[in-house]
Amino acid sequence: MMIKRDFPTLLLYMLGFILLWEWLRPVEKLTDTAHMEVFIIFLLVSLALSFFKMKWIWQFFIKSMYMLFFIHRFYYEGGFFQFSWVKSFSADFIANVGFMLARNWTALSYEFRTFLLFILLWLMVYLIHYWLLRQQQIFIFFFMTLVYITVLDTFTVYDAKYAIVRTVVSGFTVMGMLTFYRILNREKVNSNPASLKKWMAPLAGMVAFSILAGVISPKAAPFWPDPVPYLKAAKDGVANKGSNGPSRIGYGENDDRLGGPFIGDDSPVFMAEAPDKNYWKVETKDLYTGKGWIASGSTSIEFPEGGLVPVYSALGTVETMKETAVIYPVNTRNPLIVYPAGVQRIRNINPKNPQGSHSIGIDTTKEKIESFEATDYTMDFTVPRYKVDDLRKTTAFNPSEMGQEFYDLYTRLPASLPPRIKQLTEEITAGKNNWYDKAKAVEAYFSSSDFTYDQKNVAMPGKYDDYVDQFLFDTKRGYCDNFSTSMAVMLRTIGIPTRWVKGFTGGGFMKYGGENDSLKVYRITNNNAHSWVEVFLPNQGWVPFEPTKGFTNDLRINYGAGETALNDQPSVPASVQKPQEKPKDEPKHPTKKEKIFDFKLTWLKVKFFFIAHWKWMVLTIAGVIVLTAILYHIRGKWLPYLVLMRYRFKRKDETIASAYLTLLHQLDRYGLKRKENQTLRNYAKYIDSFFSTREMTRLTSCYEEYLYHKHLPEGSWQDSRELWENLIKKTIA
Amino acid sequence: MTKIQMNPVIDQILTNIEKVMIGKRDVAELSLVALLAGGHVLLEDVPGVGKTMMVRALAKSVNASFRRIQFTPDLLPSDVTGVSIYNPKDMEFQFRPGPLMGNIILADEINRTSPKTQSALLEGMEEASVTIDGVTHKLQKPFFVMATQNPIEYEGTYPLPEAQLDRFLLKMRMGYPDIQEEMEVLTRAQKVPPIEDLQPVIDLDGLRTLQEKIKEVFVDDTIKRYIVDIVRRTRDHGSVYLGASPRGSIALMKAAQGFAFLYNRDYVLPDDIQYLAPFVLAHRIILKSEAKFEGISAEQIIKRVVERVPVPVQRFVR
Repeated sequence: MMIKRDFPTLLLYMLGFILLWEWLRPVEKLTDTAHMEVFIIFLLVSLALSFFKMKWIWQFFIKSMYMLFFIHRFYYEGGFFQFSWVKSFSADFIANVGFMLARNWTALSYEFRTFLLFILLWLMVYLIHYWLLRQQQIFIFFFMTLVYITVLDTFTVYDAKYAIVRTVVSGFTVMGMLTFYRILNREKVNSNPASLKKWMAPLAGMVAFSILAGVISPKAAPFWPDPVPYLKAAKDGVANKGSNGPSRIGYGENDDRLGGPFIGDDSPVFMAEAPDKNYWKVETKDLYTGKGWIASGSTSIEFPEGGLVPVYSALGTVETMKETAVIYPVNTRNPLIVYPAGVQRIRNINPKNPQGSHSIGIDTTKEKIESFEATDYTMDFTVPRYKVDDLRKTTAFNPSEMGQEFYDLYTRLPASLPPRIKQLTEEITAGKNNWYDKAKAVEAYFSSSDFTYDQKNVAMPGKYDDYVDQFLFDTKRGYCDNFSTSMAVMLRTIGIPTRWVKGFTGGGFMKYGGENDSLKVYRITNNNAHSWVEVFLPNQGWVPFEPTKGFTNDLRINYGAGETALNDQPSVPASVQKPQEKPKDEPKHPTKKEKIFDFKLTWLKVKFFFIAHWKWMVLTIAGVIVLTAILYHIRGKWLPYLVLMRYRFKRKDETIASAYLTLLHQLDRYGLKRKENQTLRNYAKYIDSFFSTREMTRLTSCYEEYLYHKHLPEGSWQDSRELWENLIKKTIA
Repeated sequence: MTKIQMNPVIDQILTNIEKVMIGKRDVAELSLVALLAGGHVLLEDVPGVGKTMMVRALAKSVNASFRRIQFTPDLLPSDVTGVSIYNPKDMEFQFRPGPLMGNIILADEINRTSPKTQSALLEGMEEASVTIDGVTHKLQKPFFVMATQNPIEYEGTYPLPEAQLDRFLLKMRMGYPDIQEEMEVLTRAQKVPPIEDLQPVIDLDGLRTLQEKIKEVFVDDTIKRYIVDIVRRTRDHGSVYLGASPRGSIALMKAAQGFAFLYNRDYVLPDDIQYLAPFVLAHRIILKSEAKFEGISAEQIIKRVVERVPVPVQRFVR
């Protein structure tokens, strides 16, 4: 069959796309594959290129560039056209080909897996093209899709309730259309659009009927119980084996098995309007298991909106400063409630609970505020201003300052904890006599060059490994969870009560807000998910520490009179100073920097918009394409009128040139194509014999005079316009 | 092609020829095109299909002197061009013009004579003059040669060198008449041949005027581009060893001008080019031997080339 670019072919392609999409949907649900939209758009682009029969070299170029661009976007820093990443990518590529040959599948890197997925989709697009247009048989693919979906539905949590309907509709339609083309081919009948229409009507009826029958007909009960819960139980049973655990993506609830790579993403979680950058807490955990953190229990209580939040903050002895922040969660239905360290009250929850119950739930053990529906809420909080002298007062546990039970809870460690952690901690803190200095020493210990901040190549502790031990002595490579857990555990070994805090860092500055631009709006994404440490000092409360390399938490510390930075321990100012704000980073040309910033901001906004609306956009684009296709398909009904309108008021004789060419186009569209080697005179005769007139010959001789003789008598257009209009009218479908 | 709107003078000449020739109006037309464009015609045909009759009728119609040379293997150059003979009475050499010194010449079976004699004829055609014993003799004007050659497969022939074939503006075949026409030929053969009664339509001066007029026929740049496209396409055709030269382009244009004039048009159409291209170009290309073995003829190749070149339908923008 000749491969055409008509509407039915477009329809075939679109149905093929839907079938392919069904293969990708579960992947998104069941695996850790993020950014599925990129792959779906890749499918769309590839199919479009194939549909428009672009030269293979261009197809190859566009697809390769698309692949490389997104591999770069996902995994590499720096500009795409700086090409420095190409080197590391090719090195990675070669290494991975080696792994593949060695069948060391688990060693494959993420960028290579992404690359392979792209290649797979590429092949699939070709196969779809081949099945649809060359082979004209799609049953095998359709059947495989059904098997795939049903198997996934049975054995995984994927719910294929609607997928099966979509697949059957598109599969039946495709098969019906292909049967039509096969019959045409076999019987050597000339295809004409009318016969396809005749075919499509019963086909649509049949598909509708089968779907209706399938949906409403009674179905037998399953022969076996749903295997998913069973499999889940079985999986949990073996979960303690050192398998390839899931990697952590953004903010997660479950921390009992830490380790493995961290996959962040740009999807925003909330925006915060605050006078300054803050760390945002979500919850704290108190029990270290050797593999991760769990909460020792849960104590749910409620407090009224606007009432004091029952969360430990700095004690009353600490000088504090009152501040207010407004939080705008992105997911307004089920937002993650974040709060700054010294939270006092939550008010102005908007929209307010329609039930009128103005109370908010909180788990005081975890210090986790239960989610409530809100598009925004306001928080009053206090920012402590610690005095170094006060911080340094605590030197040992004193049962009169805090309860024994409390102290035991926050210094509890698993019995299996390797003793060398304690030895190391003692070495680090040697010479320091108070808890604060000891904590600062441990915090500073992580800033040594032995430790590397890395989100990707992070080990997962094996069955007999301790998470902290592995990090401190073995890998020395990791992200916030590694650093914070290690610091918390290390301090506990020497009897300092600590807890592990989860939340978000301050995020990225977006714009100034509030009155007089006194407030700043920050945008916090999943990439900002973070964890840190709080140390309990009996006279101060929970004091936050930031052991993670490259991160800082602003602690406002008032150095008392007589204490200068010079005779302070060197570690304190070093870590209080923010690495991001080193003087050398100060912009030399503030205006220029601001401009770049603006651009970045815009780009972020655009990206944010894309992420939030990509499904809608794909639909809109598809809709526009369909509409255009339909308009194009029925252009015979409206285009000639448009042409007539356009030439109605032209008076110049030269008009005949463009008018005649337009007529040729319209005749071509009508189906009376002039062969390239056909002369106008010859063609005119053909047209005249078709319409049984002499108009085309007369018009043509006038145009010939103009074209081949450069001779245009005055009034040519006026004289021949009627001929021309009659001919154009004949092309109306 | 539309047979209406012929140039009246041309129409009369053609009517004249049709009085003695049955059918073959296209051959007559093409001969006239060559005559008006100042070129020559090569007919590749078997004897006895009426070539002489047609040329004679043509000569009579324009009131021109007609000569016929039958080429044989022993014909010498001087038999064609003429010779200087010593006249004892005047005590000097006297030039006796050969048959080449006419207006319209039928050179029959030129591939039967030796290359030397062939070249005497071809030189005359090209230069419009012959040099004998150091004296250059101008040939008469108009000068029109209609040469015939046996199909080359026949024995005892000296094929014309392919490079020299482009001296001829057109090459064509007459072919046998169809059944009706041949029956009509028999009927006419029973009567007195009407050739003697033919009246001239114009005289030689009139013919020369027509020849001048043809040069004024307008050829638009689009048409020139079309000609060049076709000719160039012959040069890179897969089966062609040597394509047509620029002389071929000129010939095609001149022939098209003549043809347009025949149809009373003062400008050339792509239709003219398409019609004439096989007659003008086929004998100017040399086929590869593979193509010859496959039995593809030069005419077929030219037709295919014409089929592939798009006809200009828009103003040519430089």
